Amino acid sequence: MKKLLALLLSGILLLSCVGFAAAEDNKTLTVVTWDATTTPYLIAQKEAYEASHPGVTIEYVDVASQDYAIKTTTMLSGGDKSDVFMVKELDDIIKWQAQGFAEPLNAYVEKTGYDLSGFVGTEKNYCVEDELYAVPFRSDFWVLYYNKDLFDAAGVAYPTNDMTWDEYADLAIKLTGDGNYGTHYHTWLSAVVNWTVADGVNTLADRNYDDLLYFYQLYQKLEDAGACMAYSELKAAGLHYSAAFANGNIAMLPMGYWYVSTLINYNKEGTCNFNWGIAAVPHAEGVKAGSSFGNLTGAMINAKSENKDLAWDYISWLGGEEGAAATASVGARPAYVSEKVAAAMSSVEGFPTDETSKGALIPAFVGMEWPVAEKVADIKTIVNEEHSMIMAREISPEEGIQEMNERVAELFE
Amino acid sequence: MDQPLTQRAIHRDHPALLIAARVIIYLLLIALALFTLIPFVWMISSSLKLDREVFSYPMKWIPETFRWENYSLIWQKVPLLTYFKNTAFIAIVVTLLQTLTSSFAAYAFAKLQFRGRDVLFLCYIATIAVPWQAYMLPQFIMMRSIGLYDTLWAMVVLQAFSAFGVFLMRQFYQSIPTELCEAARLDGLSEYGIWARIMLPLSTAAIATLVIFTFVGTWNDYMGPMIYLTRDQNKTIQVGLRRFIQENSSDYHLIMAASVVSLIPVSVVFLALQRYFIEGIATSGLKG
Amino acid sequence: MTAKSPSGPRLKASRLERKNTLIAYSFLAPNFLGFAIFTLLPVLFAIALSLFEWNGGDISRLKFVGLQNYAVIFNTKKVAQNGLEYFFNRVDLGIALKNTVFYTAVTVPLTILSALALAMLLNKIKGAVAFRTIFFFPYVASMVAICVCWSFMLMKDGPINQFLMALGSTFNKSWTADSGMAIWSIILVSVWRNMGYYMVIYLAALQGVPRELLEAATVDGAGKWKQFLHVTLPQLRPTTFFVSIMMIISCFKIYDVVAIMTDGGPGRSTKMLVTYIYEEAFTKVRYGQASAISMILLVIVLVITVIQFRSEKKFSND
Repeated sequence: MKKLLALLLSGILLLSCVGFAAAEDNKTLTVVTWDATTTPYLIAQKEAYEASHPGVTIEYVDVASQDYAIKTTTMLSGGDKSDVFMVKELDDIIKWQAQGFAEPLNAYVEKTGYDLSGFVGTEKNYCVEDELYAVPFRSDFWVLYYNKDLFDAAGVAYPTNDMTWDEYADLAIKLTGDGNYGTHYHTWLSAVVNWTVADGVNTLADRNYDDLLYFYQLYQKLEDAGACMAYSELKAAGLHYSAAFANGNIAMLPMGYWYVSTLINYNKEGTCNFNWGIAAVPHAEGVKAGSSFGNLTGAMINAKSENKDLAWDYISWLGGEEGAAATASVGARPAYVSEKVAAAMSSVEGFPTDETSKGALIPAFVGMEWPVAEKVADIKTIVNEEHSMIMAREISPEEGIQEMNERVAELFE
Repeated sequence: MDQPLTQRAIHRDHPALLIAARVIIYLLLIALALFTLIPFVWMISSSLKLDREVFSYPMKWIPETFRWENYSLIWQKVPLLTYFKNTAFIAIVVTLLQTLTSSFAAYAFAKLQFRGRDVLFLCYIATIAVPWQAYMLPQFIMMRSIGLYDTLWAMVVLQAFSAFGVFLMRQFYQSIPTELCEAARLDGLSEYGIWARIMLPLSTAAIATLVIFTFVGTWNDYMGPMIYLTRDQNKTIQVGLRRFIQENSSDYHLIMAASVVSLIPVSVVFLALQRYFIEGIATSGLKG
Repeated sequence: MTAKSPSGPRLKASRLERKNTLIAYSFLAPNFLGFAIFTLLPVLFAIALSLFEWNGGDISRLKFVGLQNYAVIFNTKKVAQNGLEYFFNRVDLGIALKNTVFYTAVTVPLTILSALALAMLLNKIKGAVAFRTIFFFPYVASMVAICVCWSFMLMKDGPINQFLMALGSTFNKSWTADSGMAIWSIILVSVWRNMGYYMVIYLAALQGVPRELLEAATVDGAGKWKQFLHVTLPQLRPTTFFVSIMMIISCFKIYDVVAIMTDGGPGRSTKMLVTYIYEEAFTKVRYGQASAISMILLVIVLVITVIQFRSEKKFSND
């Protein structure tokens, strides 16, 4: 035992040189975000802001994306003074507002005469009772990615920007075979049924889920035909859609716009070397072509921050035209819309050059993946639970939808 | 070590039976060991693949090309060395403090009579029963207010005084006959003397167990460091591992490679200490 | 406990007692101080929290609501109308309780039995070092990597299903995607991971079994099995007490395997108490209710512990 103690002690001595030095700089802005070291737009934003604001350093606090909710909530509840928190999900801001951690922004907007018109109304999702609590800087909507090489090999025409879901299903089945899958659905709820909100009428919080039936049936038809990998196996293996599509044997993939920058990077690194393009997601019968759904990413000021004015300068820059240009320069889609920004988006190196892909950049309508609504966190849990039952074929879509309807109704009794 | 009497007795009576029993036992153990190792084989094989090969279906046990560079990539992609240092620091300090303080406290619980002993002991056990998720937030608020947030010491003080160690050591001390302590008391030894000269030497196996468990537990802890350590220079291996799983991409081959590497120190600790399970013949000093 | 207090005048005895208590406290102090500040205090706060409404904002926002959190998680209104069956099949808490108790009831005996068997087999045989290391390995490995490996092992055409099919099973689905089998995948991984861990505890305890006792039993003509039953097992009682309590507690608190492998699904088929606590606390930010669920867990575990504690004392007083 003595030898062991000696060993342990010397170990401690050795390791005590691990310092806890904290850099003190008055002009440092701490920004809490996720995947900071590898997300291209975060790197581009930091570079651009620091270049145009000499003397200010942006310091990212990097949190693992899957732990973002728990970690940020704990930090804020514990009285963390980091200046800016990025808003990953819409309900984050609702939560933080209720907890009193989000700085109200209307006064700043007035004081600096900040122009919100470039956000074309999306900023309303960050408002609680007409008070703005965060500035959106990324707006991702879903598009259809496709592998041009597989279409060419099969001699089938590329997807267009005006295609119904039934046409898409036929196309997917046509491209299936020889170890190739016609399409790919990630295991998320959104990948399978969120399309229902593209009509601008339905939302996932409207307490009636009958409208999901069509999409569940469509999915099951494709799974039965072997046109996509089965949910049960995907879920069990935890296969990531980015690796799946990069494998080169998947013809189509409905996915968020953020995947563009990943694919561009993959092409650069040589992880995948096929040609790809994007098209507008298919639409349901009677819904305008180019309609999709999406999600916002934004930034809020911590109410406990000690550099609120600088923090406002940063987040207003981030959301505005200059920040948007930085965001767009690496293939991500900013929330701010202007011609300059759209031009920047399509001129990114590695972005597909065909007209369809360029056309897909301008959606006709973008519904919110999850709206801001009462008890939305509870509804989300219920819908996701029943979704997993339907997808694993433990119950039929009809049964699952009935369960959703009943359980959500119970929440409001 | 000489053969126990029983085996000699059986050996004399039914030699064939004994050999057959042995063979069956070994076969069973080997089968079980294989079953135990299968996931590790897959882990190592995956660590030598490309990410997209990891999940290729049907599964391949042997990679098409062995990508040994994965093992150098993990050190470049994230500051793994820093993570290793931090984790080692926490694990070693925690293990030391935990072993010392809990074997001390366990002696009081196991061999001393005092008021409130049982209630206090139940208190210890009760806190084990409350899931950390439930008191994490109050604990976090407190740690922040005393300035330990985002320091390695936060992890040290959180894990060094766990009820687990006290409970474990108390149970081991209980199996040491009380008569031994009483004899020592009559010989004029103080309670501290009894703890140091009788209990400690007799519980090497237990201490080795506690050291292994605390070390492994701290080494593999994820939630604690995830919540308490924020800056990159303070993160631990388990938190660092998750950096290979990102929102828009995942590098499972690198996770596997880093996991294999992080297995090594813990295995070394286990191998180094496990001889105490054979050596600790706790009763050699016991004569009535 | 068998410690006899020294005989003597009563006054002297009580002074001695006081001195003994002081000595005992001095033994406890180093550990207790750290424990009280960093664990006990927050736990007490959490207990109190179950009577409050709190969304995680400033502490000043705490609002006393009495037993309302309990009424909500038990869904008392609906359960009063529809009975217990409704509670265990529809209410989140009921389902989580049912799953957790089932998981615990299967995992605890399986793990203890295999740990004890392994420890007995590996106590004194050739090659024990290698085997021990192998069986302890699962506990050493990092959870993420392990769970990912197991999910793959348990896939539709994975090695486990192929093996079972060779034995005549007709089950052909990924375990984690089947609402009946998902909980078994959690059990399997838990037993696989923990059996070596508890084996180590038993191995350490076996070193404390006096060889004189075993030899005495052999001289008396007891067979191996009888020797095990009448000498080894009683000697291991404090350890078994420890192992069973720790196992029950850790099974009731199962979280990480579930979070990585099934995330409570499919549906609610592997929703456990702690998964539910996590969900209430961090996705729905209702800390009061999260605390109330933890209190239920605490009460269950305390009742089991006290019962075992009593029977342990009874045995050691015999």
